[in-house]
Amino acid sequence: MLFKIQIIVGVLSMLLLLTTFELIRKKRLREEYAILWLFTGIVVLVLSLWPEFFLSQFFAKISGIFYLSAVVLISFFFLLLIVFHFSVVISKLTGQNKDLAQRYALLEMEFKELRRRCLPPDRTPL
Amino acid sequence: MENRKKILVIVPAYNEEGSAGKVVEEVHADLPQAEVLVVNDGSTDLTSEIAQSKGAVVLDLPFNLGIGGAMQAGYKFAYEKGYDIAIQVDADGQHDPKEIQKLLHALEVEKVDVAIGSRFIGGSGYKGSIMRRIGIAIFSGVISTIARQRITDPTSGFRASNRKAIQLFALDYPQDYPEPEVVILLHQCHLKMGEVPVGMSERYSGESSITKIRSIYYMVKVLLAIFVDCFKKPPLLEQEG
Repeated sequence: MLFKIQIIVGVLSMLLLLTTFELIRKKRLREEYAILWLFTGIVVLVLSLWPEFFLSQFFAKISGIFYLSAVVLISFFFLLLIVFHFSVVISKLTGQNKDLAQRYALLEMEFKELRRRCLPPDRTPL
Repeated sequence: MENRKKILVIVPAYNEEGSAGKVVEEVHADLPQAEVLVVNDGSTDLTSEIAQSKGAVVLDLPFNLGIGGAMQAGYKFAYEKGYDIAIQVDADGQHDPKEIQKLLHALEVEKVDVAIGSRFIGGSGYKGSIMRRIGIAIFSGVISTIARQRITDPTSGFRASNRKAIQLFALDYPQDYPEPEVVILLHQCHLKMGEVPVGMSERYSGESSITKIRSIYYMVKVLLAIFVDCFKKPPLLEQEG
């Protein structure tokens, strides 16, 4: 039973790591986001390779949880970190987006005004 | 009065083709020395074209930013073009441009940085829904306590600002619920504000952005935003030469 779970968790974490690497390579995922995903993948992989530690008296004593629960719990913790990181990034992007939209509108207005002054009214703009 | 001062009237408009033109005409008639800037916040109707045809300067935002982003765009324009006074007037026609003189008077005589038009002083006889009045009363209590100054109508969007406040708003303007949050911002930056009694009329067209069902939700969110604002670091204003 434990062996099966080990395989499943191991394969899943490998898939996660490979996908992340591939996306970085294709430049579809920025490194700053990739680091947390890679870290999550590595931690889950370690969990699948050395389940003994999580089954040991020591870990069971300090955590009181079983192996699979440990895997899920720790993955969940990292997912929380990633989602939180996204919120921070999205907030920053929203602010930059707003500033860009305002700047764009002001420049477009200036541009139209300049073009109106420079071009005679009967000429269509180039 | 105030002949040498450059005055800008900022009218933020989102799908207000029914009333924006009339507001522009009224402002031109009542305050001929002022320039009118309509900030078109990504409207899908003819707001921009109508405002332009009535002689307003129109700033077209590429997409909808919300009232905070639109107002700030107006203040950035005012700051960069060197206006001395900026007045914000709603495009739905609930603010009477004839009352602008009272706001200007407060800036000049009482030496405040921002003059806020209030429905609740001087017995202007405002009749809103009971929910709205309770909500505004609660905001008023909370904001007056934080700002250590009586503010009876913190949700009023009928305001006049001097150059110092324009500079602040160009730099930093609350995005979500700008009217009450601006009061906190002004207090944090040590700018002076004062209220002026004004009459407000019924809206020409359109729905208030606050519907009955959402009013409680709105209130909780604004109070939360105000609470968070108290812990924000106020922006540093550079001294203009």
